[in-house]
Amino acid sequence: MRENGCKSEASRRSFLDVLLGASILGWLGSIVYPVLRYLKPLPQTGPTGPTRLTREEMAKLEQSQFVIILVNGQRVIVLESASEQVLAFSAKCTHEGCTVTYLPGQSVIWCPCHDGRFDLSGRVLSGPPPQPLPKYVVQRQPDGGILVAAQGGVT
Amino acid sequence: MNGQRSGGGLRGWLERRYQLTPLLEFLRHKQVPLGPHSLAWYYLGGVTLFFFCVQVVTGALLLMYYQPGEATAYESIRFLTTKVPFGWLMRSVHSWSAQLMIFSLVLHMFSTMLLKAYRPPRELTWVSGYVLFALTLGFGFSGYLLPWNGLSYFATTVGTNLVRSVPLVGNWCLQVLRGGPDVTINTLYRFFAIHVVILPLVFVGWISLHLLFVQRQGMAPPLGAKVAPRGMKFFPSFAVRDLLLWLACFLVLLSLAVFAPYGPGIPGMDWELGEKANPMAPAYPGIKPEWYFLWEYQLLREFPPHIFGLEGPQVCLLLIVVLLGLWAVIPWLDRRAARDKPSPVLTDFGWAAILFLTFLTLMGWDLGAGAASAGPGSMPAVAARCAWWTLAAGGVVIGLRFLAGGSRWFILTGAALLQAALHGLGGVPYLPAGVIAAALAAITLAALLLGGRRSEPEAGGPG
Repeated sequence: MRENGCKSEASRRSFLDVLLGASILGWLGSIVYPVLRYLKPLPQTGPTGPTRLTREEMAKLEQSQFVIILVNGQRVIVLESASEQVLAFSAKCTHEGCTVTYLPGQSVIWCPCHDGRFDLSGRVLSGPPPQPLPKYVVQRQPDGGILVAAQGGVT
Repeated sequence: MNGQRSGGGLRGWLERRYQLTPLLEFLRHKQVPLGPHSLAWYYLGGVTLFFFCVQVVTGALLLMYYQPGEATAYESIRFLTTKVPFGWLMRSVHSWSAQLMIFSLVLHMFSTMLLKAYRPPRELTWVSGYVLFALTLGFGFSGYLLPWNGLSYFATTVGTNLVRSVPLVGNWCLQVLRGGPDVTINTLYRFFAIHVVILPLVFVGWISLHLLFVQRQGMAPPLGAKVAPRGMKFFPSFAVRDLLLWLACFLVLLSLAVFAPYGPGIPGMDWELGEKANPMAPAYPGIKPEWYFLWEYQLLREFPPHIFGLEGPQVCLLLIVVLLGLWAVIPWLDRRAARDKPSPVLTDFGWAAILFLTFLTLMGWDLGAGAASAGPGSMPAVAARCAWWTLAAGGVVIGLRFLAGGSRWFILTGAALLQAALHGLGGVPYLPAGVIAAALAAITLAALLLGGRRSEPEAGGPG
């Protein structure tokens, strides 16, 4: 009888322990979740779809053979090759995210941070970048303007 | 009794309320162990603390002008250094003090490791010091971005991008750290909060804990002497010496700040404001982190794009985590020092780590490349020059350990030097050179153990 009393007391205590543990977890969750959610940045807003190079960007492209623009909030390098072909790639090096530059004399896209080199199809020529540079679509417009869009973004 | 001893006056008034006598008695009897070892190593923690105090004071003064923001961060620093009377001096003292704080902290960590001061019962003193070291690096990294110039922008881009390599939560952590997918002004806001509020609060808490441990247990006596043969009174003898050293440090700091207000101008130690950060401009050659991150920067450069089916930066991060993790738990790895016996293998491991970091740092520094740094053609020449310097440093270390300490255990130091020689002088790529050196060290260790020479470590001196 007494043993039964002990058992029921023990099970009551275990139940209360579980209840208390669950309450503490719930309490912690109710604090941690809003903080984590607060810290996570909001999705980027801004213009989406193809980007047309401005007059200044066109001038810079002509002068330096490359220009860096924003397409859907992403940095994109637009360059003019030796054969006067306009190409566009993500400007973020696939190694550590530095902004790449174009070396017209060597026909190479170069990341100076860790000396990563890419050819004009985006493939890695040398250095530590693990992936090729994602390519963007370039479309010449009838008025001479240049439209740049993510793959599948120009119709 | 308290009433009898406390008497009148302010001291008596305080004594009646707070019973200060036991504390004063503790401080009166506190001693610093004396022996054949050098006392110099005992001052490094205090020197680090002094530079931290300078950081707090100058940081508060800088805050009175600094304005975080896209159109204000860079401009406010430019205004501070060019228009505000002595603004350049405040920034210079803050920057130099940061460098000297990390320098003395690095010396403090390595001297503690090589003298085995982490051995029981001081394991947690080591761990709390290790956390303080990590927090100090966090201070350096977060403060670097605040001037919002081109160099700090790209250095932060590279530094934060490493977080992306963490499995599963890497992308989430990167977004939280940067306040978005890229380094933007949102990153600066977050780093500002981390640098001036979060880290100082955490740091003060940890430093209190660290000092409490040191006060309760006292400074570690030399290995083999559980109780130091003699002692120097902490108050006033050691404290006065500490104070004099702080004064000397202050004079050195001020001299450096006045005569080199923008740093010595070497990569990783240069705080010229330069151009404002422009996320739409390409990176440029010569982008380097602070000198204490150069070894990581160079290691990232040495890793191939892919290795074992993983991306190079991921494996690099894993290696860094493993190395730093081993360093954190060294009190539990060093079983011989725990029994108060010499542990030359761990001493050798410490020196090998120092030489490993030295070689990488010198290469990250582009030693000898001159103005043509970062050019791919200059890399073999840079590696060769750095290898010679590392071999020279290694030769001095081995010579001193042999002559002064009677040590005969140089396998890991030899492996670090072999890697430098193979890569710098033999032209073997960095990672294969490391694998060859590590394999040879492992074979030698195994041969020694299997050859029944387990007593070899015991025969070695204190290292």
